[in-house]
Amino acid sequence: MDLVQQHLWGWFIAIYLFFGGLGGATMALGIVGELRFNKGKWFGIGTALLGLALLSFGLLWLVLDLIDPFRFLLAFWIKGIGSSWIARGMLIIMGAYIFGILYVAAAFFESKTFKKWMGYLAMFCGFGVTTYTGLLLNANVGIPFWHTPALPVLFTVSAFSTGCALLMWVLAGKNDHESEHFFHAVESFDIFLISLELLVLFAYFDFARGGNLAVVKSAHLLLSNPLFTIGFLIFGLIAPLILEAYASMKENSKGIAAFASALVLFGGFLLRYLIIWAGVFQYPHGLAG
Amino acid sequence: MARYGMVMNVKTCLGCKACMAACSQWNQTPFWAEDGGKWRTRITELEDGEFPEVQRRFFPTICMHCENAGCQSVCPTGATYTNKDGIVLIDYDLCLGCGYCIEACPYDARYEYEKEDLEKDEFYFGEDARHHQVHIDKCTFCVDRLEEGQEPSCVATCVGHARIFGDLDDPNSEIAKLVNTGEAKPLGEYLATKPKVYYIK
Repeated sequence: MDLVQQHLWGWFIAIYLFFGGLGGATMALGIVGELRFNKGKWFGIGTALLGLALLSFGLLWLVLDLIDPFRFLLAFWIKGIGSSWIARGMLIIMGAYIFGILYVAAAFFESKTFKKWMGYLAMFCGFGVTTYTGLLLNANVGIPFWHTPALPVLFTVSAFSTGCALLMWVLAGKNDHESEHFFHAVESFDIFLISLELLVLFAYFDFARGGNLAVVKSAHLLLSNPLFTIGFLIFGLIAPLILEAYASMKENSKGIAAFASALVLFGGFLLRYLIIWAGVFQYPHGLAG
Repeated sequence: MARYGMVMNVKTCLGCKACMAACSQWNQTPFWAEDGGKWRTRITELEDGEFPEVQRRFFPTICMHCENAGCQSVCPTGATYTNKDGIVLIDYDLCLGCGYCIEACPYDARYEYEKEDLEKDEFYFGEDARHHQVHIDKCTFCVDRLEEGQEPSCVATCVGHARIFGDLDDPNSEIAKLVNTGEAKPLGEYLATKPKVYYIK
């Protein structure tokens, strides 16, 4: 086997995957807050628009990563939808925009039933965006570390964790009863998600340990990189988990939770960048010498 | 309708790289690019075995024109397609330039034909320049030469008869005999890509 680290995708794709997942999760969680936690129409409108804005910012980087960004309109020619996750992703993203904006309009005009249905559809598309970012990498058969069912799960859990982190920032400044209630619900959900992320990561690396040479090399690249071990694992996962767990047991601890949220966002981005960076092709012997 | 394929005889490849030169001239691939150029076909120098049984070998590679092509399945716009003769091709007009196919190819057969490559193409080939838009590029088995009844340029120029091209469905062809007898085998069978390029090692 010839093992070659991939260099084609880098920062730009990592930024896209991060903001795509964050945007989708923020929209989905924000709509839950409005529909189920009575957070009011402006919260629903604000978080849905924030989610779409983040998704748009991410998409900008995806377009900039094209050989010629001006050819981006071709992305709407989704002939490869039967098997391509970029084409399927385009459809999911278009769904997120369409149903997200319809939900915002319905919320603004207080059309209750229509808002509920558009909200659920927008949530579904937001969820789809978070999962698709993992499936996008997953489809590359030549990079075994990406070609595992654990990756879409990891990215989905991480995206929702970053979405919770962002919502905690939004909610930290509000002192009304509903906001307090929803803040603690999001905080508890994030503690659950970070714990789950640690478990998925453990399974991912345990699987990699018995994997082929390229998988072992990818895992080794990550575990020997301080950005992963110290930056992501310690500062991006374990520290916010401890801080959020501590904050959840204390009164007036929103500041700590907000700081933990910043660490979660930092960790979420690092995870995507490092997973992309550690992609190793496993070519049959002879191709790369 | 044929099912074109190629057999690479690693035992007779001299490592002269005339195939690379012929291909780059015919297809105007970016031989000018940094870090050794971008090629549709390459010769990799290998040292196989352990002392004192060490062998220096030359390993020719090319797009494998897989029947189950990963590059084709990930292409969002359908720009990558398989023609009636089993050749995996790219419609440059539809190519988004996302690079997804490069990442999905387990044979390192694709590269980006970038803006600066277009400028160099025009600089070197003038009015005969064949690339007019950025796209992902790869081997086409010289489909334009096949239409004129010629062999692919790398095959036509190979001095060691290391590249044997033909119809895999024609049992009387040299390539079909080599493949059907099991003498020539595909690379990376475990990938389930079903390549149409085979190797005699």
